[in-house]
Amino acid sequence: MVEEVIGLEQVNAGTKKYRPRLELFSATVKSFVSNKAAVIGAVITFIYFAIAIIDTVAPSVFGIPSGEYTDLGYYSKHISPVETFGIFSPGTSHGFKYLLGGTIFNYPLLPAMFASLKFDLGYSVLIVGVGALVGSAIGVTAGYLGRWADEFMMRVTDVFFSVPFLILAIAFSTIFGHDMLSAVYALLIIWWPIYARLSRSLALSTKSLNYVEAATAAGSSKVRNIFYHVFPNVLSPIFVQISLDLGSIILIFATLSFLGITNLPYSFPELGALISDGDNFVTSFIPLPGFHLIWWPLIIPGFFLLIFTVSINLFGDGMRDALDPKLRK
Amino acid sequence: MVEENITVTEQKERLKVQDLKVRFFTSKGIVKAIDNLSFSIREGESYGLVGESGSGKSVTATAVMDLIPDPPGRIIRGKIYIDGFNILTDLDQLAKIRIKSPTDVIIKRKKRLIKRHNYIMSGIRGDKVSMVFQEPFLSMNPVMTIGDQIKEAILLHGRVDIANSIIKRETMNAQEVSKIVDTIMAQPDTQTRNKIIVRLCGEYAIPELAKPFTDLFENSTDRDFIINEVLSLVNTKKTGLNLEKLEESKNYFLLRERILDLNLELIGAEHSGDERTAAQLEAQIKELKSTMRSQFLLYSIKRRFMRRFIDAPFEKFAEGRTLELLTQVNIAGPERVMTSYPHELSGGMLQRCMIAMAFSANPQLLIADEPTTALDVTTQAQILDLMKEVNKNYNTSILFITHDLAVIAEMCDRVGVIYGGNLVEEAPVKEIFYNAKHPYTTGLMNAIPRAERRFEKTARLESIPGSVPNLIDPPSGCRFHPRCKFKMDVCSEKKPKLVEIEKDHKVACFLYSDEVEEEPREEIP
Amino acid sequence: MELKYFIIRRALVIIPTLMGLTILTFLLLWAYGPNLVAAGFESEKYHNVAAALAAQGFNFSDPIGTYFSYLAHLFTGNWGTINQPISAKTLTAVEIFFPNTIQLAIAATIVSVIIAIPLGTYIGARPNSPADQAGRIFSLSGYALPAFWLAYVLIILFGKKVGVVPYLNIFPYDGNGSLNVSSPIFNNFHVSTPTHILLIDALIAGDIPLFESAFMHLILPVATLTYGILAGILRFIRAGMVDASNQEFVKTARAKGVPEKTVIKKHIRKNALLPTVTVLGLLVSSLLGGVVTVEYVFDYLGIGYLAVYTAEATQVWGILVLTFIFGIILMITNLIVDVIYAFLDPRIRY
Repeated sequence: MVEEVIGLEQVNAGTKKYRPRLELFSATVKSFVSNKAAVIGAVITFIYFAIAIIDTVAPSVFGIPSGEYTDLGYYSKHISPVETFGIFSPGTSHGFKYLLGGTIFNYPLLPAMFASLKFDLGYSVLIVGVGALVGSAIGVTAGYLGRWADEFMMRVTDVFFSVPFLILAIAFSTIFGHDMLSAVYALLIIWWPIYARLSRSLALSTKSLNYVEAATAAGSSKVRNIFYHVFPNVLSPIFVQISLDLGSIILIFATLSFLGITNLPYSFPELGALISDGDNFVTSFIPLPGFHLIWWPLIIPGFFLLIFTVSINLFGDGMRDALDPKLRK
Repeated sequence: MVEENITVTEQKERLKVQDLKVRFFTSKGIVKAIDNLSFSIREGESYGLVGESGSGKSVTATAVMDLIPDPPGRIIRGKIYIDGFNILTDLDQLAKIRIKSPTDVIIKRKKRLIKRHNYIMSGIRGDKVSMVFQEPFLSMNPVMTIGDQIKEAILLHGRVDIANSIIKRETMNAQEVSKIVDTIMAQPDTQTRNKIIVRLCGEYAIPELAKPFTDLFENSTDRDFIINEVLSLVNTKKTGLNLEKLEESKNYFLLRERILDLNLELIGAEHSGDERTAAQLEAQIKELKSTMRSQFLLYSIKRRFMRRFIDAPFEKFAEGRTLELLTQVNIAGPERVMTSYPHELSGGMLQRCMIAMAFSANPQLLIADEPTTALDVTTQAQILDLMKEVNKNYNTSILFITHDLAVIAEMCDRVGVIYGGNLVEEAPVKEIFYNAKHPYTTGLMNAIPRAERRFEKTARLESIPGSVPNLIDPPSGCRFHPRCKFKMDVCSEKKPKLVEIEKDHKVACFLYSDEVEEEPREEIP
Repeated sequence: MELKYFIIRRALVIIPTLMGLTILTFLLLWAYGPNLVAAGFESEKYHNVAAALAAQGFNFSDPIGTYFSYLAHLFTGNWGTINQPISAKTLTAVEIFFPNTIQLAIAATIVSVIIAIPLGTYIGARPNSPADQAGRIFSLSGYALPAFWLAYVLIILFGKKVGVVPYLNIFPYDGNGSLNVSSPIFNNFHVSTPTHILLIDALIAGDIPLFESAFMHLILPVATLTYGILAGILRFIRAGMVDASNQEFVKTARAKGVPEKTVIKKHIRKNALLPTVTVLGLLVSSLLGGVVTVEYVFDYLGIGYLAVYTAEATQVWGILVLTFIFGIILMITNLIVDVIYAFLDPRIRY
């Protein structure tokens, strides 16, 4: 009813030169920026990625020499017998490195988390990127070609969707072996169907739009249609899905190493492994006089992970709302 | 003071809209959807509101029901008298609107008052005024059967009357029957006799017996035989239910109706600034509510958890009434329709059901918002006939909204032409078609293909150049001036006033009168 | 009548997916190679691996034949043996552990649905209000929270370890009572376990303290699982409510004079719950994923626990069978969800 009263065509006709793409883009940006939660999410996500990149390129920026974390010998020398189990508690008394305290064998928690981020984010981006690329290529092609190709792809993806993702990941990484790379392979294999399904449905809905049919009528080939007309329409929902999936992938990663499926060595930085190390302190805690519950090796990495997943979800939700013209106010 | 507010209108006017102003607050700016709209509908009259899409017809209809979606829309000012009561009496208290800029408007809603307003409105909607919508498929709840939806409408209003008629039926005895039969037999005219029978059957909650009774009276003149027949027929309909329980239900609903009435009075008193009366009324309402809580505690608990048993007699009544309503709107196989879901019926059937639903409480005013636009032509004609019949039989006033001038010609007694949220012309239907004054109306008329003009030289259909104005930033002065053939300088500067230039014929145009519409200075543009 | 055909049609769709799943798990088996196929079948009986394989009908130069013998094993319940967490036939282990998972999953589902419907109605009827914002944050956190971490947070806040000095407070968390995993299952309780669901078994035996203990042990796992599912359901109900309240028929209801509360409860909510039913399948998927971590953290003896241990110890038959079982559970729940949807929504059957 509102649209009807405003008379939208007149609004557009009034502007000097009508540039739909630019206008759409600026409207999207405007809508995204007006969503405070999404902006906060985007900023925090950006910070996480920045930390991961800096930690890869120049770890000394954080005041921690490169490679120090994985050197077990270095830390065992520094364990102080005064503290409970020799673990430093959070605070500034032991320097910036121990700002968030120490974890198992008194590794400093903060650099450990930063180093974990490097691995987790790197692999997550790889998995989601490859998954999105392969999946959407398969999905768009199947959706556009239709008939048996489409049917076959749907049946294959059905199989992947018929088992909970975590179980599939566990099964695949068990078969490939219990290390970080096998988990990556496993997730690479099971992650493309999401994108295939998504891009297929988008391709199907785009295919029947008038302008694609018009292009076909004008003699445009199938391949040209896929690249020039169908793909651009598929892109933005795929990006939204990628941002949401980064959160899920990193969670699955953490879960796998927490469960001990990816059997990482103690010194290997991974957020799930860090949390798993931290749980020892909680489950073996005996409340005798003079003993304190060492909560931080468990709570802090979990919180660190939680903040990332929440922000990337906020970011993804905001992006979806901004890209969907129906949801704009 | 109170009296003045509640009954200022003439008795004859079923609906009176005064200075209605509706705004939509959107991210693009404030949409000036309706401006200073005034019109009234008399008893039994059928009033047509016509205009292009986007001119504010539907907004007007929705505003009369006070159903403007909020956010983004709000009625800013105006009076809407339904049955003499101004439903917008407490309008000013409901929300405070602060405008920082056209795209940044802060609306502070007073939740408690809005709650009361909605409570009162739900007593008025469906009871005194009903609405039939444009898209029958979208306007029916897809997961409820047609029967359930109509029954719901029936049971929302007039529960006391329903309880009374059920009690009447259950306590009907030979003496009463003989008296009634005498009065009916005293009527010499069959038609009036039948009408009385139908009315009485409704009164005694036995609508399904109307048909056998009319047959009975037609075929026989033996008084004793008729009385015996009637008695036996009525006795088959008696359910022997517990009258005490029904009495309790009745008292409960009586109390509820009383509270609603008191609330209406309270709003009037508050508005006129009569604080003493208002305080008294408030105290009275409070007392009644506490009585209700204490006296009907058990009942309301039972009603909540064992609704099926408590409401059984009402449900049964509603079922009979639904069947009757569906038969009245000429639906074939009403029993089957009652148990079907909306997707199982055709658009025409659904629209009939909508009309049946709208008439469930015999409202005095029916608002039809383009009821035939979504239907095909033959169905359209049937629906229009049906509405006409209803209009005649029940003396219901109709506000008919459409962009189809042919429908207007068919249906309406008087027509208002609306353009850009303003009423530009209002006249009896013949005047509009043969003696249109406003350039916009004449433009509309020339755009209709007419058989009698096909041999004239100017046989081409004329169209009005341009399109409906953007109402965020409407043209100054007369909103029609950018498209008008007779534009004068004054048109872009001042707004013409709607003036009666002939009997019953009002026009807002400087071609006919120099009177200028005085815009009250207001915070909201 | 038409509902019956709908169910049959829908059930037939499962068959290709089921076959696909057997192929997928077979490919995994094939990828692992011949060595551990035999390991699951008491290979010591045979003088060498080849003989053990041949006895089971496996021949790694003949994929088709091997696939069919794999199918035969899978569907006859001949699933080999596992050593971890109990040393038993895989089938027996599944029989013992599976009912516990059902108990956990059903409890979590019931609790979250009971909370989600009224809460979602309240929030969905007030879009953009403070309550809505709070609900959004809640459902987002449920979506983004690592379940195992939440479980430990709950343990620190409310848990106590059985057998050790109770250090915090209320709820015990290490499995069903002080259960020794390596001992014959459930012998500790001195009750017969016909259903393998401890809550019911305790009631049948009339052992109230055991029932109480089993109940207390259920609370933290259920709470952890509930948090995640509840967040999901809440999100969908809220979206459904907002969507439904913008539809025309709501206006019709108001025009009839239906009071605001009834409009929300009767007209909007019923239409909002329908799309929620369709996504229940997705939620069951995440529920089953959650079951794995929750059972692991709380030492709760369900098939999730079994899956983690078989995977950790690389017991290939175990993990393949469990993958298959999880798949079947998900397929069946999806089937049930679709049937419920068809039952609820009169439009779908046509």
